[in-house]
Amino acid sequence: MNLFTSFVLLTLLILFTPIMVSNTDPHKNNKYQSYVKNIVFCAFITSLIPAMMYLHTNQETLISNWHWITIQTLKLTLSFKMDYFSLMFMPVALFITWSIMEFSMWYMHSDPYINQFFKYLLLFLITMLILVTANNLFQLFIGWEGVGIMSFLLIGWWFGRTDANTAALQAILYNRIGDIGLLASMAWFLSNMNTWDLQQIFMLNQNPLNFPLMGLVLAAAGKSAQFGLHPWLPSAMEGPTPVSALLHSSTMVVAGIFLLVRFYPLMENNKLIQTVTLCLGAITTLFTAICALTQNDIKKIIAFSTSSQLGLMMVTIGLNQPYLAFLHICTHAFFKAMLFLCSGSIIHNLNNEQDIRKMGGLFKALPFTTTALIIGCLALTGMPFLTGFYSKDPIIEAATSSYTNAWALLLTLTATSLTAVYSTRIIFFALLGQPRFPPSTTINENNPLLINPIKRLLIGSIFAGFILSNSIPPVTTPLMTMPLHLKLTALTMTTLGFIIAFEINLDTQNLKYTHPSNPSKFSTLLGYFPTIMHRLPPHLDLSMSQKLATSLLDLTWLETTLPKTTALIQLKASTLTSNQQGLIKLYFLSFLITITLSMILFNCPE
Amino acid sequence: MTLIHMNVLMAFSMSLVGLLMYRSHLMSALLCLEGMMLSLFVLAALTILNSHFTLANMMPIILLVFAAYVAAIGLALLVMVSNTYGTDYVQSLNLLQC
Repeated sequence: MNLFTSFVLLTLLILFTPIMVSNTDPHKNNKYQSYVKNIVFCAFITSLIPAMMYLHTNQETLISNWHWITIQTLKLTLSFKMDYFSLMFMPVALFITWSIMEFSMWYMHSDPYINQFFKYLLLFLITMLILVTANNLFQLFIGWEGVGIMSFLLIGWWFGRTDANTAALQAILYNRIGDIGLLASMAWFLSNMNTWDLQQIFMLNQNPLNFPLMGLVLAAAGKSAQFGLHPWLPSAMEGPTPVSALLHSSTMVVAGIFLLVRFYPLMENNKLIQTVTLCLGAITTLFTAICALTQNDIKKIIAFSTSSQLGLMMVTIGLNQPYLAFLHICTHAFFKAMLFLCSGSIIHNLNNEQDIRKMGGLFKALPFTTTALIIGCLALTGMPFLTGFYSKDPIIEAATSSYTNAWALLLTLTATSLTAVYSTRIIFFALLGQPRFPPSTTINENNPLLINPIKRLLIGSIFAGFILSNSIPPVTTPLMTMPLHLKLTALTMTTLGFIIAFEINLDTQNLKYTHPSNPSKFSTLLGYFPTIMHRLPPHLDLSMSQKLATSLLDLTWLETTLPKTTALIQLKASTLTSNQQGLIKLYFLSFLITITLSMILFNCPE
Repeated sequence: MTLIHMNVLMAFSMSLVGLLMYRSHLMSALLCLEGMMLSLFVLAALTILNSHFTLANMMPIILLVFAAYVAAIGLALLVMVSNTYGTDYVQSLNLLQC
């Protein structure tokens, strides 16, 4: 009898402790931050044990704790599913959160509400872990909504700023549209399979599952910022950099992809959904890569890079490779969080300067951050034998050698080379050349609270891919042989992107254009998508509903049709046909006299 | 015919005369209408209770309901006249305006 389940539940329970002491003294003083950080570290260590046990025995577990309610034939319990995905994800998420919390001890140092910030980050982590370990759709929905709410609270952290409030509201609205899909799927599963438990859903694998799977794809598109529901992710960069690093690069935005990965037994038989996912992911990855090319805010470039990688994960799901998508989730978390932390270091050291046109020459001034940034960008583009290579290269290989939509494949390959282009752009503008910032800022990165998290994530960015790929149990047979030109596709596209980008970036120092060209405007304004979609559909919807409800229903059907028409007809008829003079008193008097006379005349006894 | 019946019938005829002969205000006609209704109600209730005619116990109540309708329509007409002319004098009703 091993302690597998105990350690899993202990991990989740440890994280609740700082929330429970939040009304007491530790919450009010400065030690709360280290307390939360150490708690997350303990939870990380505790979660490594079940992960190692799983790697040793390849034995999945289902913990079903507390029977909450039984509604007619639906039994809802508190149940945790400890399989490959949740056991691998928990240590990764806890490690990254630990590093980000240490970083935010440096970054948010002068914030008066820093304790509340840490509490919010911890609440976010808890709800994310609830989502990941959920075995029934109800618990998953609790985690889903929880991460949405914490995202709202954390994006709008500096709530005095209008842009931050708008961005937080935008995140909620776009996530809500995705939630419609999730709720529709839950309702379908309830009415057709009589359950919300994943085990029963996978056992009763009926055939035409288009409706619930489309609902799940919509939910993933909302949460993971696929094309059509994507503008909230770049706007979410209004939040502090630790929030961007945790939520919008590693953890929350992969919740949608994670949902689709969880439901892979249903998706592997449904070709329509796979095609939808593939095309949606391909459009997303190319569109956001194009938008990232001409952004000037370093956090927005990294946000679009996240969006592009999410599109790539969606493509992987569309290729029926859920395990590769999950591996990419884990490896992407490392280097993307590190990229955000490095950009946070740059921003703070340049006195809150986020525009890359005003950075430069940081190669000598911030050597450690420069190293981390360059390694992060190389890992992102899939440099051989760094972390990104172990997940991105198999994805491209699987894409090029499977019987799939060639157009989607072309889009993905183009996006791969564009990844290299905008990475070069970041490196070139932020780090190389001469400084373009005012010289009166004190640039100092010698703080252990800053260096240690980046160092840990750096080691993770270099080695995690190797360690993860060689430790995981094999689940599908990998592709062993392919032609040389297909094998080298990803590397070729990336190298091409690097070379072209470097040449063009060098040109910007010598050539100048007077008017932005049309493609450049398309890219900078995010493809005109927010400009059109944030004003036009709401205006059309609201004016149509006003016309329907007020003008058509209230004024016309209920008021004018019967009552006013009747009155009008009566009025016209009476004015046309009457020729009275209105001598009312005379009429009444004659009536009285007639009545009296007739009563006297016909009542006298004969 | 008992004394009570004659009493109430006299009240009814007073109201009838008041309805058909009034000086200037339309409102007094409406008030007399209400008086007629009241006396009819009392008459009907007395007779029916006295003769234990249980089947017709509903009749005074239904009479009340319809009298309420009549009063509402009468008041609506009064309001229309008052909106047009400012007062409810009946001398002005010969102008054939609407």
